Amino acid sequence: MAKSRTALLAAAVLFLFLDLPFLSSQSNDDCLTCHGDSSLKSEAGKSLFVDAEKFQSSGHGRAEVSCVSCHADLAKTKDFPHSSPLKPVACSQCHKTAALEFQRSVHYSAQETGPNTVTVNCQDCHGTHDIRGKADFDSTIFPINLPTTCEKCHLEKVAAKKGPGFIGQYKESVHFKALEKSGLTMSANCSNCHGAHDIKKVSDPLALVARRNIIQTCGLCHVGIQRDYLEGVHGKDYVKGVKDVPVCTDCHSEHDILSPRDLNSTVYTTKVAEVCSRCHDNMILSRQYGFLTSRLKTYNQTFHGTASKFGETRVANCASCHGFHGIRPSSDPKSSINPENLPKTCGKCHPGASRHFAEGQIHVIPEEVVTAKYKSAYLVKNIYIIAIAGIISVFLLFIAADLFRRAIRKIKHG
Amino acid sequence: MDRPPLIRDDEIFLRMNLAERIQHYLLISTFFLLMITGLPLFFYEFKAFKWFFPTEQVFYVRGIIHRVAAVVLIINLVWHIFYATCTARGRNNFKEMIPKPRDIKDAFELFWHNVGFTRLLYRLGIFKKFFETHPYWLFKDQPLFGRYNFIEKFEYWAVGWGSVVMIVSGFFMWNVELSLRLFPLWVHDVIVMAHGYEALLAFLAVIIWHMYNVHLNPEVFPMSKIWLNGKITGKELRLLHPLEYRKIYEEREKSLSS
Repeated sequence: MAKSRTALLAAAVLFLFLDLPFLSSQSNDDCLTCHGDSSLKSEAGKSLFVDAEKFQSSGHGRAEVSCVSCHADLAKTKDFPHSSPLKPVACSQCHKTAALEFQRSVHYSAQETGPNTVTVNCQDCHGTHDIRGKADFDSTIFPINLPTTCEKCHLEKVAAKKGPGFIGQYKESVHFKALEKSGLTMSANCSNCHGAHDIKKVSDPLALVARRNIIQTCGLCHVGIQRDYLEGVHGKDYVKGVKDVPVCTDCHSEHDILSPRDLNSTVYTTKVAEVCSRCHDNMILSRQYGFLTSRLKTYNQTFHGTASKFGETRVANCASCHGFHGIRPSSDPKSSINPENLPKTCGKCHPGASRHFAEGQIHVIPEEVVTAKYKSAYLVKNIYIIAIAGIISVFLLFIAADLFRRAIRKIKHG
Repeated sequence: MDRPPLIRDDEIFLRMNLAERIQHYLLISTFFLLMITGLPLFFYEFKAFKWFFPTEQVFYVRGIIHRVAAVVLIINLVWHIFYATCTARGRNNFKEMIPKPRDIKDAFELFWHNVGFTRLLYRLGIFKKFFETHPYWLFKDQPLFGRYNFIEKFEYWAVGWGSVVMIVSGFFMWNVELSLRLFPLWVHDVIVMAHGYEALLAFLAVIIWHMYNVHLNPEVFPMSKIWLNGKITGKELRLLHPLEYRKIYEEREKSLSS
């Protein structure tokens, strides 16, 4: 027993001195002899410290990936301390799919365009020695942490076309609140909408957030809404490729999507009319697609619109009657504003609404109303305007005559 | 022999008794409240009016105030109708308020008297013959008014007509479900339109016509105090309501001789 132990020891010593090439790689401990020292710095003053504990708990550490697996140029180095800097780590050696995706991304093309642009590499998002999977709470790409990771560059370094605060708006959004406050990791973070490795510019038709893809992208989570949308007038035109048709972001905005119950939301009940009228009061669009304008004007004239302008939230907005995601034309029997369905639609707020509701028109533009009696309100209005003008003129004439006579009397009699 | 005049210039007559003044106060306050809680909705396009109701809560309270004021206005109107039919003084006042063809003539004569155009023509020698044979058209004198002149009658009946329109249309706007059960939507639209424009008419009439006649008119400026103390002097009666003055005078003369 003792004999065999001695033999083993002898063999080990022999191996060490022989310095066989296949056993020459440094172990992690070898590297940490120097790099485990937290005060180790390069000549330029950059810290060269590697936190062993963090590395051990990282994805690579747990998979027992050694230092030289990534820093491959050190695998055969014999002279220590080794020269620096090292060659960039080629993650693509193992992460082939991710690397291929990355090569199609805007981040990769930024690398290509020249030395002056900001370059993005794997480690900018994933970190270096403590790379963790996206399920790890401490990971840079854990859903709750990802926005902060992206913001490292996109808050200031990289200019957004829509102005400086545009990226930061995300942190005000309902999506981020769901992540941060409620811990709902399924809520949309940057990569859910923009993609991860193959992230592309909005102007790129292949981008997940390009107009032609945005419905599917939002629909990844909002499945029911996507279905409703595609059944409505907007969705039907969207499928046909009509470029002016509103997509999710046109009404809900982009990074700063808020709950419709939030006062600042673009689709808050008192603001819906503004959103819809961006297109529906647009003369050019109305001519091109053959819909009626003056929707906002005529809405404002009603008590619904007027009260809404003063902040009253209980009155009807566009969506209350027309629906929102699956808006249908009144000719559609399923439409909430089909004359057959009006009693039910109006009845949501006005219990006992009868068929009388359908007898008349909500958005009355006198020039366009076919049924004469529907214009009666305008007739009444015109009669009143003439009467008011007449009566007030008579008042003013009488007052003028009275003042005139008094002035004359004053001149004559002092 | 000198006897004291039948109507002294400083004698005090009661033009508005307490009940009439209270009716007037109630009308003023409800009218004012209804206007400030209602008219901004008519002028929804002016941003300035958003200051009136900056929040949803204020807007809600606006609706409450408007309705409360409307109810008080209705109660006041009912009281007035009762007063004008069931009390002797009320009945008498009401009789004096009834418009007569004479009022139109008064308005016509007062206007041309004030303008004085025909007198100018006469002085310039134009149509001299015509004016000499028809001196009426010179409008030399102001028309003589009774207890209520055409201006006051017009205002009174304008309030009456306006109240009816506003109460009826307001009732259906308040009970929109009832309205839409009874009428088609286009009738309801007419009701809403009438409510707004009638309010505008009432507002302008009061601001221009009534304010001139009882406040800004140099005769009473800065303000006629009748609405506060209800009193009018014998002199004012003689100058402003000569026919009423004459009537009282004749009554006293009759009672004196009998």
